[in-house]
Amino acid sequence: MTIFLQTLADGIVLGGIYSLAAVGFSLIFGVMGVVNLTHGIFVLCGAYGALIVWQGLGIDPLLGIPLVMAVLFVVGYAYQRTLISWAVARSSLLATLLLTFGVALMLRNIMVLVFSPDIQSITPSYAFSFFRIGALTFDLVRISALGASLALLLLLALVLNRTGLGRVIRATAQQELGARLCGVNVQHVYGLTFGVSAAFAGAAGVIIGIVLPFSPPDEVPWTINAFVVVVLGGIGSPAGALLGGLLLGVASTMTSAFIGPAFPNVMTFLILVLMLLLRPHGILGNAFAGSR
Amino acid sequence: MTGSLLRLDNVTKRFRGLVATNDVSLEVPEGAICSLIGPNGAGKSTIFNLITGYLPLSAGEIRFGGRRIDGLSTRAVSQLGLARAFQIAKPFPDLSVEDNVRIGALFGRSGPRDVAQVTAEALTLCGLDPLIERQALGLTVGNLRRLELARAIAARPLLLLADEPCAGLNPSETDEIIDILRSIRDRGITVLLVEHDMGAVMRVSDTIFVLDAGRKIAEGPPAEIAGNPEVIAAYLGTPVAEAGSA
Amino acid sequence: MLTQGIRRYRWWILASAVALVVLLFLPGLMSAFHTRVAQLILMSAGLALAWSILGGFSGYWSFGHTAFIGVGAFGAALLETKVDLGGPAANLVVGLLFAGLVSGVLALVIAYPLLRLRGIYFAIAMLGVSQVLGELVATLDWFQGSLGIVLPRLAPRDIEPQVFYYYLFLGLAVLTLVIGFAIKVGRIGYGLIAVREDEDTAAMMGVPTEAYKIFVFVISAVLTGMIGAAYAHSLGYITGESVFRVDFSLNMIVYALLGGIGTLAGPIIGAVIMVVLTQVLLGDLLDIHMLATGALLAVLVLLAPKGILGSVQGLLRSRRSPPRASKPAAGEAPP
Repeated sequence: MTIFLQTLADGIVLGGIYSLAAVGFSLIFGVMGVVNLTHGIFVLCGAYGALIVWQGLGIDPLLGIPLVMAVLFVVGYAYQRTLISWAVARSSLLATLLLTFGVALMLRNIMVLVFSPDIQSITPSYAFSFFRIGALTFDLVRISALGASLALLLLLALVLNRTGLGRVIRATAQQELGARLCGVNVQHVYGLTFGVSAAFAGAAGVIIGIVLPFSPPDEVPWTINAFVVVVLGGIGSPAGALLGGLLLGVASTMTSAFIGPAFPNVMTFLILVLMLLLRPHGILGNAFAGSR
Repeated sequence: MTGSLLRLDNVTKRFRGLVATNDVSLEVPEGAICSLIGPNGAGKSTIFNLITGYLPLSAGEIRFGGRRIDGLSTRAVSQLGLARAFQIAKPFPDLSVEDNVRIGALFGRSGPRDVAQVTAEALTLCGLDPLIERQALGLTVGNLRRLELARAIAARPLLLLADEPCAGLNPSETDEIIDILRSIRDRGITVLLVEHDMGAVMRVSDTIFVLDAGRKIAEGPPAEIAGNPEVIAAYLGTPVAEAGSA
Repeated sequence: MLTQGIRRYRWWILASAVALVVLLFLPGLMSAFHTRVAQLILMSAGLALAWSILGGFSGYWSFGHTAFIGVGAFGAALLETKVDLGGPAANLVVGLLFAGLVSGVLALVIAYPLLRLRGIYFAIAMLGVSQVLGELVATLDWFQGSLGIVLPRLAPRDIEPQVFYYYLFLGLAVLTLVIGFAIKVGRIGYGLIAVREDEDTAAMMGVPTEAYKIFVFVISAVLTGMIGAAYAHSLGYITGESVFRVDFSLNMIVYALLGGIGTLAGPIIGAVIMVVLTQVLLGDLLDIHMLATGALLAVLVLLAPKGILGSVQGLLRSRRSPPRASKPAAGEAPP
């Protein structure tokens, strides 16, 4: 029983991080219908950003989050306004899949050249402290990572639901033409959406960098995890990402503990394929633009 | 068979709270041109979607040639001999006019027999001979409508459902479409038309069915319908200058 | 319809026949290195053609076709190592047929549910299928995917292996091309174009969309599986990682897209260009291999979304004035 509860707790902690890492992917998919295969790269940018902040400047990596988010916001905005919008205009949404894949390959190669292909890890002073509740052990780093993830998800939910920017983004997602007719600069909104998405991916990357080791090829699993989270939780909302992330986290630790440590990936893809077949709009069923 | 090719009995369609089609019964006799008219939102397109199996019925029965067709897939319905020409013409844009029509002939009711001949006849009937090698993408609206009709009749249907073939056309183009519809009928294909252009409807129809708010409010030959006070009220109750789709 | 198709594309068929004759004599004139490059080109062209029979014709882009390469490779390898078939010739024939069979059965099983998904969802679901199979082969001991399997030697002692596999891949590519051509010019080819352009309208016009999609999915899988088995033999030793490769899936799409999607000449042209580019010109620059491939992919999507053939055709069409007097454009379209 203790093992089960410990696995469950570990899964929830991991799931919180998955949620944050996926929320930006979900937002782009929901608003524009674009599957951004560069997403995992944004996540890794955050992790390498944290590495630079920690090693180069000697600052606590968690404090680097605002800086990383600001930089990635600008990158994401520029990326959409140039390459992505060009690809969408010139060919199809399916072609953006190829474009983002191509860009991901390039950036991964550049990361290998700049940071070496080695596995990196960030170990701040509090890296190995833990505390206990009853028989369960909690890693202090992971708990603070979960806390930061939840806080950022809440922030994004507030931005989307309570601010003018959020309202414009949601309106554009639901009725692009309508928003255009109301004077919304749709390309600008798409750019902002991409910026927000990249910023939150970067924030997730910082947290992942503290919790897990990372290397350039990890961009692939992070992109795929994001896709699975979206398919599980539904498209375009922080709440859906949270639900999907928690489910994926728990499924992954449970598989590892009770089926075998080699099987979480198989389980992830099995969930992905089964969910696409059974509930293509996610458990909450709140898909919009992306469900075409 | 009683001479009616298509028969709707008490057909009802509800979308959640909205009743789009309410207890509609009508018969389309074999060899006729019939029209469905009515203000926007009267339920004309819904009826087409119900007949072709795009939407399931909430209640009622649809028979085609005496056989129940509600519940069948769109493909099964088309194989029985029912073809639809869309208002927003949906030709395959990258293909030539001829290939578009050829696909209609290849997958029509009686299978891939005499494909070349059937294709050529449909093209000629709809006046598309000069355009056969053109890509469908660049055609004018009028030519797209002809292509849509040619593709539908290449399937050798018994019944053609034509969804606003005259919408957005100028008077001379409209006249041409009317001529095409008549020659389609003369070849033994029954036609059911949804159309907003009253002049066209009055000239071409044998029987007109009038829908309003999902109900059938009148039925009869053009002269009778034109004088029906209920029909006039239904039309005057909504903006007269309708341009959009039903 | 086949005779009409042959008449319509007679110049392309003639060119292909000439090319085939040249290809038959080529190994005698080339160095071992160039024969290996040519072998890789033929394999890539065959794979891209097999992918195109599904993706190019029906518009269902599989992002996980390496699943069939892997299943074919492991199917043949396991059969040939566990059962004594009696000699290299039997291994070759039975092994390839068995690989095709296993891939085809797998495709048949997953076809109905998967092909109900459209667009991005189908693409990603196929990616998922290939990853699941790859992981399973790597983790379950029975498949020996992590340990690897050594395949029996096929090439006779007196023939250089690269020459032997050159002819094997040539044969498979020609088989794929012929099957692809028969599908393209047949009734099913027109039906698939209708599916690709607008599936709902196709169904309304009487195209048996479900059956056609499943048919080409299975055919595509069978051919991919056979090429996968041949690839396994050409390697001599396979692991899960060496045959379940995401970049295989990607390359099939890239070659088809580069040459011209929906055509048969396109995937071949794409394979020639890309393999020459990556193996010969960039062969020494392994550090920036991914960078170059990625950049090429991005440029391709941005500048020539219809591929080389599509762009050339577009240029020809726009030059041709006045439209009414236009020559039969379809007759000149690449098959």
